[in-house]
Amino acid sequence: MAATLCRRFFGALRVSGVLQASPAACFPRLTLNLLHKNTTKVEPIYQCKFLHTTLSRKGLEEFFDDPKNWGETVVKSGDEWHAKHLRNKSNEDLHKLWYVLLKEKNMLLTLEQEAKRQSLPMPSPERLEKVEKSMGRIDLVIKEREVALRLLQTGHENPRPGEWRNDFLGRTYWYNAKEWPIPWYLNKKYNRRKFFYSPRVKHFIRLRIEQHLKKQARMKSLEKKKQLLLQKKFPHLAAQSQN
Amino acid sequence: MRLTALLAMAARVKLPPDYRHGVYRPWTAAAKANNPPGRRRKKVFVEPISKEDWKVFRGDTVEILIGKDAGKQGMVNQVIRARNWVFVEGLNTHYCYIGKTADYPGTYIAREAPLLLRQVALVDPTDRKPTEVEWRYTEEGERVRVSLRTGRIIPAPVHQRRDGIIPEQWKDGPKDTSVDDALDRTYQPSLKIFEEEILELQGIVETRRAKKSYWY
Repeated sequence: MAATLCRRFFGALRVSGVLQASPAACFPRLTLNLLHKNTTKVEPIYQCKFLHTTLSRKGLEEFFDDPKNWGETVVKSGDEWHAKHLRNKSNEDLHKLWYVLLKEKNMLLTLEQEAKRQSLPMPSPERLEKVEKSMGRIDLVIKEREVALRLLQTGHENPRPGEWRNDFLGRTYWYNAKEWPIPWYLNKKYNRRKFFYSPRVKHFIRLRIEQHLKKQARMKSLEKKKQLLLQKKFPHLAAQSQN
Repeated sequence: MRLTALLAMAARVKLPPDYRHGVYRPWTAAAKANNPPGRRRKKVFVEPISKEDWKVFRGDTVEILIGKDAGKQGMVNQVIRARNWVFVEGLNTHYCYIGKTADYPGTYIAREAPLLLRQVALVDPTDRKPTEVEWRYTEEGERVRVSLRTGRIIPAPVHQRRDGIIPEQWKDGPKDTSVDDALDRTYQPSLKIFEEEILELQGIVETRRAKKSYWY
């Protein structure tokens, strides 16, 4: 199957008189014929007939859809992979599915670019969204598993260590640790940073707190004013709030 | 990381707080033409109805209570929650010409005007009259709309997928995974991290050791 596809591919190239040109140049006639009967819920590699790693010379036809779909304006595609189904799959299956989806995404992006080049609408652009969402969900599931293991083994959720620190202006913030090749007492750049503040800064901390409280009070009173205005416009709201 | 965040920001449409939502969605060309960035219009007061209280959905049959087509029933075409608007198919229409050019007068079409939520009422399917509706829970725990006059449940409208697929009529294509394969559970919980498991399966043995690094 793959070999015949290959032969046709290179046959087309020979006919157009170009042997080893880039794919875009090789398909002058096949304008928007790069359409596929695409369904994003792709099979794992061991079941798929089209995607075979050892086929063809360069494997470039994997950047293009099934030739049957070349030229169609609507290509049917199935549902995307959902997180609850992906959570039931083993890591090996997810790993394989990621690359299957990646190849599909590459094919769709090639199609999109070719459509732009010829100023034509891309056939069924929702396939790209579905593939991207599915890939994002695989990433999410793997991250969840990693977080669960980390919680069990270390008790932390974050992969990166960190702590609350004060800066030289007295502000408290979450400091994310960085990875250094030398210890802290040898690090000139790190030692120049100040994670403490002098006593003169206390006055300004109080002013900052005052600013924050005033802002909160302002927002609260604004909310109250808005509510009153709404109740004037919609009298039944006042009755509802009383109930 | 910063580049992706920038791109994500560009993809999302950032609306000003006093943006007046119109008939067109904010990312369309018509809406951008009507609401250029500098324009500030008079504030429109919208009755605050929470997401849980909202009762009318696309595909529901409603009756118009106030307006030109008062007393008529129709299906809801579109809902714009930002303004509490409901568009009923074929009702409350006004006529206009669209696609006008220098020489072509344009097509004369009927266009639906929006109706406020207060101006429509859901129709009870049993006696086909407008009723007040409340959200209640069934014995199974399902949240349903119940008509207050008769006490009957108003069924939810059939949800159509955005890609137009009807799951009952779907036939798998060559790139689709079959239902059995998709639902097959292959996950075995283990104390191995994803990377470790994949290295083991691929037969890759990592003999290199990471140099000592310091985290601070």
